Amino acid sequence: MNSRIENHSRSCFLELENYSRSCFLGRSTVRKHSGIGFWRIAVTLVAILLAPAIARAQDARQIMEEAQKRTDAKSQHYEGLLQVVDAKGKVTDKRWSYDRTGSHGRSKSVLTFTQPAEVKGVALLVINYPDRASDQWMWTPAIQRERRIAMQDRSTRFFGTDFSFEDLEERDTEQYDYAMVGDDTIEGVACWKIESKPRKTKSSQYTSSIVWVRKDNYAFQRVENFVQGAIARRLKYSRIENVQGIWTGRVLEMADLRRNSRTVLTFEKLEYNVPMKDENFTLQALRRNQ
Amino acid sequence: MTRGRLLRKPLDTADKRTFRVRSAAALGPQPSADLGPCGAFVELRRSPCSHGLLRNLPRVIFAALLALPLLASFAAAQSISQKGFLELKGIGYPQTTTQDDTQAVGEALVRYEASAKPATWLKLTGALNARGDTHDQTTWDGVDWEDRGVTRPGLSVRRLSGLLSHGPVSLEVGKQFVRWGKTDILNPTDRFAPRDYLTVVDNDFLAVTGARLTAGLQSNTLDLVWTRFTPSRTPLLDQRWSGLPEQLQALPLVDAGAQFPTRSQAGARWSHVGSGFEFSLSGFSGNNNLPLIVTSVPTFPAGVVAAPLPVAMPPAIPASVPIVRVYPQIWMAGGDAAVPLSFFTIKGEAAFFGTSDARADQYWLYVIQVERQSGEWFFVGGYSGEVVTLQRTQAQFAPDRGMTKAFLGRAGYTIDTNRSLAVEAAVRQNGDGSWMRFEYSQASGQHLRMTAQATWIRGEPTDFFGRYNRNSHATLTVRYSF
Repeated sequence: MNSRIENHSRSCFLELENYSRSCFLGRSTVRKHSGIGFWRIAVTLVAILLAPAIARAQDARQIMEEAQKRTDAKSQHYEGLLQVVDAKGKVTDKRWSYDRTGSHGRSKSVLTFTQPAEVKGVALLVINYPDRASDQWMWTPAIQRERRIAMQDRSTRFFGTDFSFEDLEERDTEQYDYAMVGDDTIEGVACWKIESKPRKTKSSQYTSSIVWVRKDNYAFQRVENFVQGAIARRLKYSRIENVQGIWTGRVLEMADLRRNSRTVLTFEKLEYNVPMKDENFTLQALRRNQ
Repeated sequence: MTRGRLLRKPLDTADKRTFRVRSAAALGPQPSADLGPCGAFVELRRSPCSHGLLRNLPRVIFAALLALPLLASFAAAQSISQKGFLELKGIGYPQTTTQDDTQAVGEALVRYEASAKPATWLKLTGALNARGDTHDQTTWDGVDWEDRGVTRPGLSVRRLSGLLSHGPVSLEVGKQFVRWGKTDILNPTDRFAPRDYLTVVDNDFLAVTGARLTAGLQSNTLDLVWTRFTPSRTPLLDQRWSGLPEQLQALPLVDAGAQFPTRSQAGARWSHVGSGFEFSLSGFSGNNNLPLIVTSVPTFPAGVVAAPLPVAMPPAIPASVPIVRVYPQIWMAGGDAAVPLSFFTIKGEAAFFGTSDARADQYWLYVIQVERQSGEWFFVGGYSGEVVTLQRTQAQFAPDRGMTKAFLGRAGYTIDTNRSLAVEAAVRQNGDGSWMRFEYSQASGQHLRMTAQATWIRGEPTDFFGRYNRNSHATLTVRYSF
């Protein structure tokens, strides 16, 4: 019995950011059976000691969940203009078309290059999950074959841009732990500064990220991604506009700070809640839609 | 330079080519398994329609000009997508061969592809090729649909198909590409993918004409394919890639055409995609797109006809040794799988090939490879093997089997957005042959890409690679994509 309670307490703390106070409330039935005051007191004391941190974490999670909720849409479509600027300042233009059905951890997306001509038709299918890393396949028309992008390959750059394969996933709040770092002002906009760390179920190249969330509309203003404490990539959002009720950064600048290069992605023809069919987000669809 | 004489093309067979006699001493029994996996490649006739690049180039340019107004009109329609390229390639061979002393070859290719979606359930796709070269590898004779000639068609329909979709079911009818398998280096289960092997190590896929029904969504998919037979294009016998064994290089070989199977071929493939793995099972019944080389009765001077290639050396030099390309009936059962692990992805593919043709072998082909992408590097390494369960003695052209019993690898490095390096290699497990290719590629602007390659081939004369011992070469390709 004791071990049951101990296990439950431990899991409760481990999942603190998931369930927060509701987890403690949920334990009441167990406590009735315990009959041991020591554990009740210990848990209460620890909870009191950790209360400020828990509150901050809870705030951070609530903010992130609210931010995610505000970007929920049944689908999304845009034509992306990518300008890849290398370390010497040379600019290379690419274009892709992006379709997504569902939101966040339950979404599927297809990204298809439309320019330059030599990569036209190259497509990436991403199937996101709420509890684990996404599945990704890349279709190459020249060889008429798709290739599964393995987990360990997700840190590599996507077709010469500064986005990695992992950056093309949709993040879900359930896959991260959050902690409030504080308040900050980015380009004159008041933001919450929140640290996110991937959970064990989420395989990620980044060990942590710092996210700046605007206080006025919960839109992301900036994300800095770290690998072993060193910043690896910085994503800046600009031209944040209300599109069909969703505050969206229409210009994203991803900088690879290790390569000293950056890619500017501009959303054109952006639309939300466009009718889309689920069968267009499969491997078979990749082949037939080439 | 030894070049073949011109013969007329029979209506019901492919082109024929002749090859001049050098010595009768090599005339022996029927070409057999001792020819190795490449066997004898037997097309030796100069086509009456063949031309060099200088004569073909105006036609290529004309075709390109003709395509331009079409491009403009297509571009105006929103539901139509198009792309294409103009490619110029120069190949330099440091060494000559017995049957081919040409050391510089130029090739030009214009490809235009378009697709239209007149309705949500219908998609039409078409592609045209216009090409020319300086080495008599191209024949201009109207618009080619079949891709059955011994030379490349000057103007051809590369692809033309209609795709009907309804929910999880789609049906594609017409000339199309069907690719099966998961591995990158060799695909034993890829039975609907004949290739153009005029330049054996730089081959390109040919489309097949038929129907393909695909049913299923992401996790489980059934693929049913029915096609008309399309052969792989074998190397020209009077050119360096024929890879003739030394004793056959002297024979007056005459291509007596090909016996194309009249039956159609069919295949089925079931694919399953899991969260941490994926695999497929496939079956095929049809004909091998790579031929057996069958000799007929040689003709001697003064019209004397001998029994089929005598075992003892004939005293006289035969005037001709007719050779026919025969595509044996085969069936295949196989599978492929890919499993992403922590540090690399492991992929495998294996297939068994059975036959009712008494001249063809029965055998297993298998490939196992690992791949890993790390930063700007990409690595693939593996082994391809063969197990012959029933050995026959008929000569054949089989580059797929020729690539087996070898370690294979590829490494690529992306220098920056526009530049990349790659090296590929295959080394025979007994060390008898090897092939290696270095590649540097650089894009310039939105449309232009230049690729330089150096290919090094070495091996014993009995080895598949060794037959191309003198074919190491350098290639420079410039491609303008639109």
